[in-house]
Parts: sequence; C-alpha cells; structure tokens
Amino acid sequence: MRPRLLLALAAALVLVPAALLLAFRMPEFGAHPLPYGDAATALMLHERHVTNMVSGVNFDLRAIDTLGEEIMLLAAVGGAVMLLRGARGEGGQRRAAAIPGRPIPRRSEAVVLLCRLLAPVTLLFGLYVVLHAQLTPGGGFQGGVIIASAMLLVWLGEGYAAWRRMLPGPLLHALEGGGAALYALAGLAGLALGDAFLANVLPPGESGSLLSGGLIPLLNLGVALAVAGGFAMLFLEFLEETRAPEEGEE
Amino acid sequence: MSGETLLPLAVALPLLGAALLLALGHVIPKRASDMVALLLALALAGIGAWLAREAAAGPVTHWFGGWVPQGGRPLGIAFTADLAGAGMVCFIGLVFAACFAFAWGYFEPAGAMFHVLMLVFMGAMAGFCLTADLFNLFVWFEVMSVAAFALTAYHLESSAIEGALNFTITNSLASFMMLGGIGLLYARFGLLDMPALGRAAAEAPGEMVVAAACCLLLAALLTKAAMVPFQFWLTDAHAVAPSPVSVVFSGVMVSLGIFGIARLGGTVFAGVPAAQGVMHGLLLGLGLASALLGGVGCLQQRHLKRMLAFSTISHTGILLGALALVSAQGKAGMLAYLLGHGAVKAALFMIAGILLTRCGGIDEIQLRGRGRAVWPAGIVFGLAGLVLGGLPFGTLDEATRLLDSAAAEQGLPWLAAPLLLGAALTGGAVLRAGGRIFLGWGRVSGEEERAPTEEEQEPRDRPLWLMLAPAAVLLAAALGLGGPIAHFALTAAGGGEMPAETPNPWLPWAAIGLSLLIAGWDLGRAHLPRWLRAPVEAASGPAFALLDRLHTGRVGDYVAFMLAGLAVLTLGFMLG
Repeated sequence: MRPRLLLALAAALVLVPAALLLAFRMPEFGAHPLPYGDAATALMLHERHVTNMVSGVNFDLRAIDTLGEEIMLLAAVGGAVMLLRGARGEGGQRRAAAIPGRPIPRRSEAVVLLCRLLAPVTLLFGLYVVLHAQLTPGGGFQGGVIIASAMLLVWLGEGYAAWRRMLPGPLLHALEGGGAALYALAGLAGLALGDAFLANVLPPGESGSLLSGGLIPLLNLGVALAVAGGFAMLFLEFLEETRAPEEGEE
Repeated sequence: MSGETLLPLAVALPLLGAALLLALGHVIPKRASDMVALLLALALAGIGAWLAREAAAGPVTHWFGGWVPQGGRPLGIAFTADLAGAGMVCFIGLVFAACFAFAWGYFEPAGAMFHVLMLVFMGAMAGFCLTADLFNLFVWFEVMSVAAFALTAYHLESSAIEGALNFTITNSLASFMMLGGIGLLYARFGLLDMPALGRAAAEAPGEMVVAAACCLLLAALLTKAAMVPFQFWLTDAHAVAPSPVSVVFSGVMVSLGIFGIARLGGTVFAGVPAAQGVMHGLLLGLGLASALLGGVGCLQQRHLKRMLAFSTISHTGILLGALALVSAQGKAGMLAYLLGHGAVKAALFMIAGILLTRCGGIDEIQLRGRGRAVWPAGIVFGLAGLVLGGLPFGTLDEATRLLDSAAAEQGLPWLAAPLLLGAALTGGAVLRAGGRIFLGWGRVSGEEERAPTEEEQEPRDRPLWLMLAPAAVLLAAALGLGGPIAHFALTAAGGGEMPAETPNPWLPWAAIGLSLLIAGWDLGRAHLPRWLRAPVEAASGPAFALLDRLHTGRVGDYVAFMLAGLAVLTLGFMLG
C-alpha cells in the first residue's frame, strides 16, 4: 500500500467518527426559528419592496460580498485568458485565427435557421431574467450566463469568423470590466451622497414592479454585463485554442 | 475625510481600478497600467496610514449599505479598522507599490491583465484585513486565491503549471474547509458578524459544533500560512512564480494566514476555552515544527527562490509561535515580526529577480561569482541574510525581544531558542548563497548540490537601479524603523511598554553567530579536514534526504498530509 494511502486512512480513523458525532450535534434539518432569514425577509419585503429575497440579501444586505464574487469571476476569467494567450504566444488577436489548408465544414441550413430563431429569443430570455432579479428567481449571474449562451448560438449559426467580427475581444473586455466598474461606481454613489458604501440610494418603488428594489436592478445589470462578457471571452479564448497550428501545419 | 468614509475605499479603489483597466486595456497607452497600479498601491498605503491615525482613538467601523444593527442582531456586513488592521493595509499598499516599481514594464506581454490581477489581489488582501464578517472574510480569502493561482502559472513551463496546480488544489481545499467551518457556525447561531459570533460562542463554549468549526477554520488558515503539515504547496508555488509575484506571496500573502488566525482568535473564539487551549498548545508545536523544518529545508536548497520559500515557512513558524503565546506582548511580537519579515523577504525575492534578469539564472552553484557584475545587489542580499539570521538590530530584533519576554512571562523561557535556531538556519543558507554568488566563494559544494534545480531566466528589460531601489528601501525600512514599528505593534496589541530587559539577551548573538558559522562551514567545506566534516555530514545527510523524499511534488501526497493535519487538530480539540 502506498504510504500516502496509509496516512489518509489513519486520518480518516479520526475524522470519520468525529464527523458522524458532529452530525448528531447539529441543529435539526430545517429547524426553526431561523432568525437571520426571518429578519432579512421582513426587512426586504417592507423596506425595499423586493419579492425575490435571494436578490435582496445578495444585492442589498450583503452587496459587498457580491462585489467580491463578481470580481472573483473576473479574476478567474482574466487569469485563464492570460494563461491561454501566453501559451499561444500572442497578445489577443483582433481577428479570428485561421489555418490555411484546414477545411472548414459547411454548416447545415437547419442549424443556421434554428440558431437565427433561437439566438434572439435566448437573448430576450436572458434580459428578462436579469431585469426581474428583484421579483422572481434569477438575477445578474444567471441572466448573464443565458445572454452569453445567446452569443454562442450566434457562433453556431454564423460561423466563427463572423462571430468574431460581431463580438470583438476588446468589446467583451469592455463589457466585463465595465460591468464590474458599474457595480463599484454604484457603491461609490452612496458614499458620495454622504451615506454608506453600496447604500441603496434609489427609491424602493412599488412592490412587484420592474423598478422596485432601488439600486438592486442596477447592480444586477452590472453583474449581468460582467458575467456575459466574461463567459463569452472565455469561450473565445478556448476557440482560438482549437485554431492553434498543430504539428506540421503553418 | 473621516475614517468611516475612507474605510470602504481601501477595497473599492483597487477593485474599481482593476475593472477600469480591464475595460480600457486596449485603448490606453502601454505604460499607463503600470502607472495606475503604482498610484493605486500608494493610495492604499495612504488610506491605511490615515485609518491607523484615526484608529488610534478607537476602532473605526463602516456598515456597508448603512445596515447598522438595530436591536442586537447584525444583518449587514461591517469593516472594522483597528490599529493592527489599518497598519496591515498600509503595509500591503507599500509592498505592492514596491513590487509595481520593481516590475515596471515586465509584464508587457500580458497587456493590462497582470495589473488587473494584481490590483484584485491587493484589494482582496485589504478586505481580508479589515472585514468583521466571517463570510466576507471567506470571500476575500477566495478572491485572493483565484488571483494568485493564475499569477503563479504565468511562465507556463511545466514546473510552473505543476506548481500552480498544486497551489490551486491545496488552497481550494482550504477554501472548502473554511466554508464548512462558517457553515457550522451559521447553522448553530444564525450569525456571521464576528464580534456577535464571539458573544454567542462564549455562551456555548463547550459545544462540539463550535469546536469543529474552529478546527476547520484553523486548518484553512494554516494552509494559507503554510504551516506543518499543510506547508507543501508553498515551495512549489513560490519557486515557479514570476519574481514580482513571489515578492507579494512571501512578503504578505502567507503571513495573512497568521493574521487571520489572530483575528478569529481575538473575536469569534475569544470566549471558547477549548479553542484558546489548542492555540496555546498545539499551534505552538506546529509553529516550532515549521520554524525548524523550514530552516533545515532552506539550508538544503540551491534553487534560490525555493530556498527563500523554505525560509518563509520557517519565519512564518516563528509568527505562529509568537501568536500561540496568547498574550498581548506575544501578539505585538507577532505583528512586528510580520512587518519586518515581510519587508526583508520581499527585498530578497527582488534580488532573486535581479539575478534572473541580469545573470541569467537562479541556481546558486551555477551563478557562483557571476553576481559580481551586480555587486550593489549583493550588499542588499548580504544584509538581508544577516537580518534573517538574527542580526541584533532593526525590526526583527525588536520583535524577537518582545517574543522572548512574552515567552518567559508564560513560563516558557526556552521557547525563543528553537525558534531562533530555525531563523539562524535560514540566515546561514542565504549568507552562503550570497557568498557564493556575489563573492565567488565556496568552490566545492555540499548537500545543496543534490537539490532540485532548474534553468530559468527572466527578460532583461529594466534598468538595474529601478529593480534595486525598491529592495533597498524595504530593507532600510526594516532596519531603520525597528523602534517605531515595535512601538506601533505594542500599541496595536495593547501590550504596554517595550520590556527593558529580555530574559535571554545573548540569543540574537548566538543566532547570528550560528548563521555565520553555517555559511562559513558550507563555503569553506573544501578546506576542512575530513574528520571534522564526516560526523556533521552523517547527521545532516539523512535529514536532508528525508525532507527531499517528503516534498514529492505530487499533490495527492500533499492532500494526505493536509488530512493528517486536520486529524491532528481534531485530536487536539478532543483531548483538550
């Protein structure tokens, strides 16, 4: 047996009983009262006129956490982009890479038609999910990913070169960075008005309306831009990767 | 501007800067991102200094979104700058500023992306030092890690990717453990605010849920701090990261793990006797083990950055030892040592960077005598080596005296001796490397000849003075500001006056003497008679071989050791 397996087993001899013992000391599953959740729900419902409590907590009560999460995504995408570009030895080409002599298979007309139909609908659905962040389940993160998948449908329907012409790399970076900057600037607005950072300085509106929740829709928009730009950028770099010349190709 | 308004800017400014650089990276002139990053780092240092001034009268608190707790239960997130946290923010700004000056133009191939990641890294560190919310602490911990993973792999050689991968896997596991610990506390108390959690936990001190949470949180932070047996990732990652990144890793990131333990120990677990007991007992042992293991590992290396990485383990072990004394004076010693060591280690990694760009290598034996061309760097390197080895002058010396007197107060008058032995081993190794590289001494090599090494170079793209000046400034600060820094640390920890006399005044002299003896021994090995050499080599050989066999570079082994560490912590809590 490998020494590391022995070591891990010895550790498990302590950790497994401890974890089992711990499981029985935990509060019961679903046990009430849950003071934090109850207080947060009441506060969001009455003071912010929000009906999606997850957004209320993430984009108002704990909005600084979400700024951190958004920046984390930005750093993860940025890191992946830097490493992939570094491996190819280029600094972000503006046009699609192509290798002469490698055939590009024709797209079937059914795929083109389907993508042209679905891409705008998907985009619309993504925007819907973003804009209803404070009302129904969803929000900037989820909607941003849906918008990014609408962009992928464009790639599937129109081909890589056309996709790159429509969505150049600098634009995607601008979406990504601009979205995060929007979030931070919205936070600074509170500070500039003499209130706290990320204070909800906009009026709460009417419960159930698109403009309820004050700052929450704006923050979600920032997140959606950053997520959509980030995912599309990641996709672009991985596609460039498939275009790297293989052995023997120039 | 009031401190309360300034507090969120410590995080908001670097993050906003990163976002704007990313958005505008393609349109701004080439050097603009260097300039923006440098200015933002200086701004952060200024914010930290201002906050420290305000915090002298009492901690400054900012509730995000204006959610000041009504009726006891905090719902929002607060940043609280006490003197220690504000001082750390100022220090982070200074180290990053030095790093940006040192790396001027170095990362041009990556466009603005390097600066984006570094600014995110900096903002996350500031947030980690200031936050008073446990989940928010996790967010910054994680942001810090994500930025660091990509920066480590920048060179993209296979060793760089392996090092970054080991770093990613071990530190992601640490994140999971931290999240698990936070989840336990939240499930039990429905709170995330650290002071409020501390009050709640003090009323339920004997509960297993609290102990288990403490166990998981400690394991996570010990991984970040690279303490035995969670330390394996550090040498792999620091050795392969680009030198400006290593500067920040060793200068600040690793010691933030210890700072985090101090923060949690002083808030969430302040009223939990079991947690305080483990900190005072088990963590003291882990600190001692790390100090010695790091020292021995350091002595064995020939790859300079790997050597410095082992020395970081050793000195972080000293930090943990000081913290584990659980006294105000010990905490003050920890804080002063953290600042002094961070500055010196950052300077040393900068010299390693100079050797990489100017002399075309990082291997001590290959570089023998080739450092003469950059002799001013040799002066900084030698001085820094003396400081690591226990030179009785400057910040590290003041910190050591605090540590020594705190240990005596706790009935452990011997404690400083083994800790300083670790420091002396690292000092000896660095002095040996300095003598070999910059003076051309030590023709015949010893154990270090069998150590792993690698061909490595960085482009020669900056003037020497620009790379050397930040290193010299940091070292000068560590040497010259000893008194003020010790005074600051004592005030921050509430530790009273600087002790007039220490129990073991001979200790620093012994350490520095031992450092010089080790360096001289290794360099002059060829001239020593065989009967003198043989017994020493018979003792050191197996120790080095064992260490070498443990550092396999396979992440599965590292994870097994992490599990074992978690089990040891668990036993520590179970057996009291």
